[in-house]
Amino acid sequence: MTTTNPRAERIRLFAQPVVVLVGLAAVLGVIASGPLDDIEQRNINVSTILGLTWQHLLLSVAVTAIVVLVGVPLGVVLTRRWARPAAPFVLVLANIGQAAPAIGLLVLFFLVTGATGFWIAALPIALYALLPVLRNTIVGIQQVDPSLVEAGRGIGMSASAVLRRIELPLAVPLILAGLRTSLVLAVGTATLAFFVAGGGLGVLIDTGDKLGRYSVLVTGAVLAMALALLVDWLGALAERYLAPRGLR
Amino acid sequence: MSFADYVASRWQELLVDAAQHASAVIQCTLIAAVLGVALGVAVHRSPAGSAVATALTSAVLTIPSFALLGLLIPVLGLGVAPTVTALVLYALLPIVRNTIVGLAGVDPAVLDAARGIGMSRAGVLTRVQLRLAWPAVLTGMRVSTQLLMGIAAIAAYVKGPGLGNVIFSGLSRVGSANAINLALAGTIGVVIVALVLDGAYVLLGRLTISRGVA
Amino acid sequence: MTGEGTVSGVEICLDQVTKRYPGSQVAAVDEFSMTIPAGQVVVFVGPSGCGKTTTMKMINRLIEPSSGRITIGGRDALSLNPDKLRRGIGYAIQQAGLFPHMTVGENIGLVPGLLGWQQQKVRARVEELLDLVGLDPAQFRNRFPRQLSGGQQQRVGVARALAADPPVLLMDEPFGAVDPITRGNLQDELLRLQSELRKTIVFVTHDFDEAVKLGDRIAVLGPRSSILQYDTPEAVLANPADDTVAGFVGAGASLKQLTLLRVKDVDLDEAVTAPTDEDPAALHVRLTMQNSKYALLLDARRRPVRWVHVRELVGGGALSTLGRPVEATVTQRSTLQDALEAILTEGGHVPVTGQHGEYLGVVRIDTVMDVIRTLREEHEHDHD
Repeated sequence: MTTTNPRAERIRLFAQPVVVLVGLAAVLGVIASGPLDDIEQRNINVSTILGLTWQHLLLSVAVTAIVVLVGVPLGVVLTRRWARPAAPFVLVLANIGQAAPAIGLLVLFFLVTGATGFWIAALPIALYALLPVLRNTIVGIQQVDPSLVEAGRGIGMSASAVLRRIELPLAVPLILAGLRTSLVLAVGTATLAFFVAGGGLGVLIDTGDKLGRYSVLVTGAVLAMALALLVDWLGALAERYLAPRGLR
Repeated sequence: MSFADYVASRWQELLVDAAQHASAVIQCTLIAAVLGVALGVAVHRSPAGSAVATALTSAVLTIPSFALLGLLIPVLGLGVAPTVTALVLYALLPIVRNTIVGLAGVDPAVLDAARGIGMSRAGVLTRVQLRLAWPAVLTGMRVSTQLLMGIAAIAAYVKGPGLGNVIFSGLSRVGSANAINLALAGTIGVVIVALVLDGAYVLLGRLTISRGVA
Repeated sequence: MTGEGTVSGVEICLDQVTKRYPGSQVAAVDEFSMTIPAGQVVVFVGPSGCGKTTTMKMINRLIEPSSGRITIGGRDALSLNPDKLRRGIGYAIQQAGLFPHMTVGENIGLVPGLLGWQQQKVRARVEELLDLVGLDPAQFRNRFPRQLSGGQQQRVGVARALAADPPVLLMDEPFGAVDPITRGNLQDELLRLQSELRKTIVFVTHDFDEAVKLGDRIAVLGPRSSILQYDTPEAVLANPADDTVAGFVGAGASLKQLTLLRVKDVDLDEAVTAPTDEDPAALHVRLTMQNSKYALLLDARRRPVRWVHVRELVGGGALSTLGRPVEATVTQRSTLQDALEAILTEGGHVPVTGQHGEYLGVVRIDTVMDVIRTLREEHEHDHD
């Protein structure tokens, strides 16, 4: 997650991937080198681990895609003059939505639809992870200096040109920060997808717990942690290098 | 049974779960506040220390809660221990970060004045610095509390207390008539507890923040 | 302003232009009528909140007038598409309003780009404009605004406003946020540009001195953008239309108008001059005969070097060591304001020098006082 301490951000930018990869290698190394029984071997092997990790990633990517495709346009719409009065209401709704526990949304969606699988997990997680991007898009556009918008209109740019070429680019740093938070929420919540048969690394944690094989549990938990920290690190990189050059 | 009927028939049990949920979150926030403020006070003079403390606690916040809870099972078993440990860890970042920011925000001239009138270093810290940093610390606690609401629900997986159990029993009764009612009651219950506690924070802020500061 | 270039600006007419905001009883701008002549700088000056910016923004329709007519070069501004209208009007604002995520080049090239110019042409134009505002294109075109000083940002802001070579320029306190010295430089620069370009410029400021310096005409505005006085700076200074204007003009108005006149506009006086090698006794005789107290000593190339008082000539000694050195001189292009300041340093008069520093004559304090008196009388006459 984003911190407000630039120095802390720098530490994480350099230290996080190294610590994560070393730690992950160490834990998996210790587990793989020990004697594994049948159950453990069935769960701790390259194809299972890669398959579940891939599923976890896909889920996170799908959630993020939904969040961006819905959150950014919705945020933009809510900053247009005609829709501006609705913005506070939508934000309050979104805030309450985020106060709802992710597990509750996931379970409810599953119970109500009576279906299981990838999208049954992805949709409620997306709803849960929507707020950071939505809020940061709104705030990012609102914090653009009004005199810049007026300067843009004043030199003859149309309203849509001002949005495309001034407001959105200037909001990019905040949108990216929101996206990073959403990504972390998505990866984190995707560990719960197994509750509705959505797969992901939560499967290993649950299997390990249910079958009393802590090696399996730890493998899943450590992988999920590593994935979240790496995705967060990618988000940090994006924040740093995708923001418009003049703003860095 | 309609949802309203369900709530009407089970409101006592739901209330107990809600109270336990709130109580767990509040207690963990308080523990985190003590630890977080102590950590903030310890590091706030050193920029490097502040950066490391912020980096560590924010990295913790990145960890999926279900993974951390799962990881604690082999170490701490089930029940209260893993629940409290996880909740406190997650509550640390907002409090530590805000304590550091709040303490750094105290005007150096005020500190000079306090030392100048003969206050001890501990006196300056407790009677001036923390008093002035309190609004920031309280905001951190408020954020932490909201954060813990959802995580506490997941803690039911490690047999923690609270409304998460209602949601999970809904899940386990899939296909039965009350499944959706249970999940809905648990989910809405968490939202309500979150809103109530958030309101309590606003009230607490009004009562405890020195009028000269706010 | 006396311009060398040909007029490229067009006339702007505002006819009973009114802005009424919904829910407000009084109009923000009430029946504002004014003709802004082609190629001139008209400065709207007035206290904050008087509606001067609102009035200006109605010209490019950033604010839509509630009623009235506006024509720019004879064309009805209110019937055009506002975006197209604005592409033909330069717009410069306080703190430059540069887009922080675009380079200097991209900022300047934005409007030409909107107008569909070829990339090659846009690039050449950016180069030309950076040159024009005194910034080296090679050094500045790829910089971002935050890498520029305040003054440089303002220059880029002006360049952006000029990008599509619009006949009309609107400037809303463009130099309001820079330090006084930079502001002075930017004003000089604008005057230089304008003498070449001869655009029609509407300039909004609350700084009366800036208005006097830049304006061919000044419109002093009161509440609801009512025109208290619309006249040349000389006339406003010499003859404020009413007490409000007088108050705004402030103390020292007579001195302010001295910035409008140059030394070459007044007759020079002759001082008694002498080469540094003249015999002091002979100079004493000449001074006494001409009833003068001071002599100005000139070096071999006729440049003023020292003032000598008649009494100092009796004691003897070489002329080159007597009296005191000349501390200030003015040229024919100096303003009378500068001359007056120099006169106060020099004591009653100041030598005027030509292109090579050679002596041309002196300006006496009486001459300056006469100018002030005449100006005042002239404008009183105008008003009758």
